[in-house]
Amino acid sequence: MNLEFTLNGASVSLPDIPEDMLLVDLLRSTLGLTGTKRGCETGTCGVCSVLVEGKLTKSCRTPVARVAGRTVTTIEGIHAPDGGLSDLQQAFLECGAVQCGYCTPGMIVAAEALLRANLNPTRDEIRRAISPNLCRCTGYQQIVDAVELTAKRRMGESANQRISEFQNPQSTIHNLKYVGNPKLQNVDGPDKVSGRIKYVGDMRVAGMLHAKVLRSPLPHARIVKLDAGPALAVPGVKAVITHADFVDHGNFGWPVKDNYVLAYGKVRYVGDAIAAVAAETEAAAQAGIDAIVLDLDPLPVVSDMTHALDPDAPIIPDKPSTLTAGGFGEGNLCDRHIVRNGDPAPILEACPVVLDEVYTFPHQEHAYLETEGVLAIPEPDGGVTLYANNQSPFINRDTSAAVLGLPADLVRVILPPVGGAFGGKDDTVYQTTAQAAKLALVAGKPVRLVLSRAESMAASYKRQASQIRLILGAEADGALQAAKAEMLMDSGAYASMTPLASWRATMHAAGAYRYRAVHVDTTSVYTNNGFSGAFRGFGNVQAAAAVEMAIDELAYRLGRDPLDFRLQNCLREGDRTMTGDPIDHEVGLTACLERVREASEWDRKRAAYAQQPADTVRRKGLGVACYFHGSGLGGEGHDFAVSTLAVDPDDGITLTSGLTDYGQGSRTVFSLLAAEILGVDMQRIRMLRPDTHTAVDSGPTVASRASIVGGNAVRVAAEKLLQQLTFAAADALHCTPEQLVRAGENFVGPDEEPLTFEAVTAHARAMGLPLSVEGKWEIRPIHWDFEKGTGEPYLCYVFGALVAEVEVTMRTGKIAVAGLWAAHDAGRILYPAGALGQLYGGVVQGLGYGLTEHFRYENGIPQTLELNTYRIPRATDAPDIDATYIQTTLREGPFGAKNLAEPVMVGAAPAIANAVFQATGQRVRSLPVSLKPVPSSH
Amino acid sequence: MYHEITLTINGEGYTLAVQSHHTLLKVLREQLGITSPKMGCGNGECGACTILMNGLAVNSCQVLAPEADGATIETVEGLSKDGKLHPLQQAFIDHNAVQCGFCTPGMLMSARALLDRTPHPTEDEIRYALVGNLCRCTGYTRIVEAIQDVAGQSDS
Repeated sequence: MNLEFTLNGASVSLPDIPEDMLLVDLLRSTLGLTGTKRGCETGTCGVCSVLVEGKLTKSCRTPVARVAGRTVTTIEGIHAPDGGLSDLQQAFLECGAVQCGYCTPGMIVAAEALLRANLNPTRDEIRRAISPNLCRCTGYQQIVDAVELTAKRRMGESANQRISEFQNPQSTIHNLKYVGNPKLQNVDGPDKVSGRIKYVGDMRVAGMLHAKVLRSPLPHARIVKLDAGPALAVPGVKAVITHADFVDHGNFGWPVKDNYVLAYGKVRYVGDAIAAVAAETEAAAQAGIDAIVLDLDPLPVVSDMTHALDPDAPIIPDKPSTLTAGGFGEGNLCDRHIVRNGDPAPILEACPVVLDEVYTFPHQEHAYLETEGVLAIPEPDGGVTLYANNQSPFINRDTSAAVLGLPADLVRVILPPVGGAFGGKDDTVYQTTAQAAKLALVAGKPVRLVLSRAESMAASYKRQASQIRLILGAEADGALQAAKAEMLMDSGAYASMTPLASWRATMHAAGAYRYRAVHVDTTSVYTNNGFSGAFRGFGNVQAAAAVEMAIDELAYRLGRDPLDFRLQNCLREGDRTMTGDPIDHEVGLTACLERVREASEWDRKRAAYAQQPADTVRRKGLGVACYFHGSGLGGEGHDFAVSTLAVDPDDGITLTSGLTDYGQGSRTVFSLLAAEILGVDMQRIRMLRPDTHTAVDSGPTVASRASIVGGNAVRVAAEKLLQQLTFAAADALHCTPEQLVRAGENFVGPDEEPLTFEAVTAHARAMGLPLSVEGKWEIRPIHWDFEKGTGEPYLCYVFGALVAEVEVTMRTGKIAVAGLWAAHDAGRILYPAGALGQLYGGVVQGLGYGLTEHFRYENGIPQTLELNTYRIPRATDAPDIDATYIQTTLREGPFGAKNLAEPVMVGAAPAIANAVFQATGQRVRSLPVSLKPVPSSH
Repeated sequence: MYHEITLTINGEGYTLAVQSHHTLLKVLREQLGITSPKMGCGNGECGACTILMNGLAVNSCQVLAPEADGATIETVEGLSKDGKLHPLQQAFIDHNAVQCGFCTPGMLMSARALLDRTPHPTEDEIRYALVGNLCRCTGYTRIVEAIQDVAGQSDS
């Protein structure tokens, strides 16, 4: 059809447009307006939102024929009259409402639609208006703030205050310009709120082919026949690959090498990749996939992890797993970990009160709004350049180089902006990258491979489903004495990071409390339930949930207030953790507990809710949880990072790090640290995105380690560079470096004559001083004895506490979270708006884990592959969260900072479960919380 | 307005929807990602866009894409076979006939067309065959030598 409509104020006339083409494809592919995103195929996520005649519309559900003659506004059409950012976009930046940025254009479109219809919306109305749009990072709160602030300003109020402002009096450290400054904004913010930033799925190069992957429909089967040849006969198909195209059949994986880039011999889960095709169009690639001849012979399936080690269980891996403690696993054993701190058995026998219960946890999907994606470009030297939305570009490079049989220098991985990861872009995307790379090399053309939502949900790894038995013993006065834990974790088809995540679970199994003795025995097993790996919290989410539900029940049996009971037993400075590790740094846990007690009006509400009449229709309850979380890799491995700094000819300063930012804000943290230490305006700092050709390997960006390790690497580099500048300034001012003081960016000598930054760099260049430096920092050696189950697992710990208030409709079992109060000790806070965003977002991910998120497998078959059936929290599912950072100081941290991105999520689910107990009397030992409806007596 | 055309490029068949006002050069570079033919002037003066069309060296910036319907096209991407350089490419390297490299693909295609129709050209014939290809780096001498070398080899 000939399509005519008004787009962002200009009339558009397009010939030969198919009527059934979707508006999102017209905008993105035909017109190149990539601010409108694709996130699902079901109209569930809202990242494709546009305005049609001013009305909020999902462009992925809108055939182009429907906009003929009408007015369409996309994110590209939302800006100030001068073309700059609109007031709403500015407010998003001010309020810290942007993290990965992938939902941001859709959110701004949705908010704009609301503000055009309702000049003065309440916070509830704002939440309802943006509830068609999913966000997995922010927990929505700062987005609501931004919309509210904009409404007030449009009403003529000179509003600046917002509900989620960082208001901790301790936040200001004297004489620091950027560290801890609540006004700091995300360095990528302007490009994200305007929709200009390009994610990998937004990138297009001439001659680019599209790739599709053939995936297993069965959870366990032998590949009897695989003939990929017929795909090449399909018009438009340019390349097809199988395991045979890779070195050693594409065998890869770390720490256990048990996976294949494309399945070899067997498939082990629904979604296992078997073959891949590149073609001129997506349709041709799919036709190529359909032409492949595949014959699978089904094998018996292991779906119940409690039977994975039965003697007659079918064996899933090709060869026994390599155990972390040494040796090999038998059958479906993936790994084992232990803690041996004293001997709890005789102590437990002597305890008057002992709790012995079993807790179960589901698989959880990361649900980052941007699925895995790679753009592979073959290079004339036989190498390949890869734009991949991964967490660890150097691991990606090394994995691809190995399976492609190329030296590492011919494989270049460049990190585009990443639309959320949460631990989930640290494995599957390496496999996706190797597939795209090989297709590009075979076809001799660029290849883009972006997974569909259903494909991503099936193929990508999950949080381990787990079963945890806890035995806790206490004296009658409430003093905890000893603990035993037995953990079973489902690794699924491949080991991925389960050996490490199950180790972290083991290190946290008895929670943030003092004990005389603790034993933990953790087993992880192979099954045919997808596969499991890294996910924010990395084992501590399950461990903390189990122990916090158990501690609550133990307090109840002792007749104690659960918060008092925690205060009596929780870790303080100088205590030993459950592994026996002495804590030699400040511990803010009691302060966190006291803070949430006061803020939530714990004592008053607990007493009031205990008095609710039995026939109350909506019953309220208050619950608490607290946690600790070891920082960094700890005993998992060598924990280091490298940063470089160079003064450019125009006196801008280029900063690199081998660590990545997938939305959590590390680019902002690194930039502000460099500016603070160098004493320069932050605008001078140009932080490059990691590129394996220019950045230096810094290990993986995981384990909430970016701020301490990456931050310290920036600090070291900045201090080195400052040394050169100071030397030059002293030489120019004919004084000693010690005599210099700083006034703004200027260097001032004893004669009080200021020298500008530009003058100092010019003098340094004239002196021949190097203005390019490299900074490396590593955590001192930490040793955990995996065989004995003793040692020092981590350099330091972060702590936190959370209170949840729920309202349960007894007739239906519906649980509404009415209030959340969170306090977290992450040392000094460097980037306040970002730190708050992590806390809100983490708590809301924990809320989803507690109430709605259950990635279910039935006999190995996933029961949901779309976001409309796998429910992550929407804006209306979460209340405003009262969030506080209790600021302590870590000697080794940059400006005293510890870490925060992961642990902030671990407290929410158990606090909600414990609140449900107060409300209903139903003790929860399994997540997500599922209540039996109580029939109304009326 | 779109035309559907078929092309055989370096032995591979393509069916393409091309716009009536787009040149063959634009289609090769921007639609297909075949970037060895360069855009040097857009006027047919410099020869950086030279390709073989049905065996003849032509400036692809001077051919409208719909005019090429049904044609057989060769570019530098099709010169090397099985990872082995074409003798002309090897001779350009051996004789240091490559400096900035921007004219090189066009030079190679013009040389290829010459040797196809005149296996043993004289120096004058070589220089005449390259008259449509500008080079600002080499002064042409080594390019002529490289082509002479290949013509000589095919003697033996």
